[in-house]
Amino acid sequence: MTSHDEHSVTGDRLACGRPVDELLDQVAAGRADRRDDHQQGCVHCQAALGEYRRLWSPVHELAAQPVAAPRGRIDRILRQIRGVLAEPDHAVLAGPDGVTRIAARVIVVTARRSAQSVPGVRVALSRTLGAGGAERAGGAGGTDGDVVAGVAGASTAIEIVLAADYGQDLHALADRVRRTVAERVSRLTGLSTTELTVVIDDVLE
Amino acid sequence: MGENDRLDAAADDWLIRKVKDGDVDAYEELVRRHRDRIYRIALRMVGNPHDAEDVAQDVVVSLWTALTGFAGDSLFTTWLYRVVVNRCINLINRRPRFEPLDDPDVTVSPGADLQVEARGHAHAALAAVTALPAELRAPVVLVDIEQMTYQEVAAILNVSEATVRGRLYRARRRLLDTLREWA
Repeated sequence: MTSHDEHSVTGDRLACGRPVDELLDQVAAGRADRRDDHQQGCVHCQAALGEYRRLWSPVHELAAQPVAAPRGRIDRILRQIRGVLAEPDHAVLAGPDGVTRIAARVIVVTARRSAQSVPGVRVALSRTLGAGGAERAGGAGGTDGDVVAGVAGASTAIEIVLAADYGQDLHALADRVRRTVAERVSRLTGLSTTELTVVIDDVLE
Repeated sequence: MGENDRLDAAADDWLIRKVKDGDVDAYEELVRRHRDRIYRIALRMVGNPHDAEDVAQDVVVSLWTALTGFAGDSLFTTWLYRVVVNRCINLINRRPRFEPLDDPDVTVSPGADLQVEARGHAHAALAAVTALPAELRAPVVLVDIEQMTYQEVAAILNVSEATVRGRLYRARRRLLDTLREWA
């Protein structure tokens, strides 16, 4: 820290004696309209507050602007860390006009997001069960370690590990998670979930 | 899920414990919860999407290994945003002064046309913020744009609250001068 860093706190004052920085603080915090007794009767403060608020409005606009991280590069990095680029697991849905392959990762993401949407779940992780990250079921296509779904009723097995809000019926929460995840995985991927293990790993206050 | 939930410190701690055990799922979730704010802070510090993405990517890569060294004696977010801000400052200091930026709406030293175009808009503010020296940018970005408290920012920048205030006041005056010139 330099002495200059702290010195400017006590910088210039308006003609009425009020520190400029104090008024800037007020404007930056969006409190320009909340004038104290002195400011209500002081033309210097009123003029300065009006001027600072006008000049500062682009900064307020900037602060209000929604910004989301572009998904591409960060997702690629995460995939590289996971190492799924080499050999992703797939579910295979055989239909009359061809085969649809769904990466196990899709099921994992769907399950995790579904579980996370259930009230009472603070944070959830999910994985498909079985060697290589998936369970094999009878039916069309697939190799050992694949999630396999066929037209004759193939399945996926999922494990959800979650931390729950403290102070609720955890059995009921687990049931709600199972119902929500199974329904959404079925609706979004066409796979039926035959086994859904819910591990409540922790409760958070 | 709202911003408050995403920034839930207890959930972060739970995830960090899992990451330290090598759980990649937990790491992905941790990154997912914070990546927008990582990117947002970087964008407002460095002033253009390309460099902001570089910073965010760099942070995500390094965090995986760095988390094993996170002692947990401060909030995860404090530690994380310190990493982000430091990466940005390193990048800013490495960058030649007045280098033209990729985003046509954002510039470190805007010409008259861009000043006119950006006047009255958030881009003008971003251009003015990124014209500040790096050490003055951080308090403005964290306090005035990200709405963090002086205490949080002091912890992130590893300086006293008085220093944060001093830098912030200097930065605001400079910003105001710049915005006044463009008005």
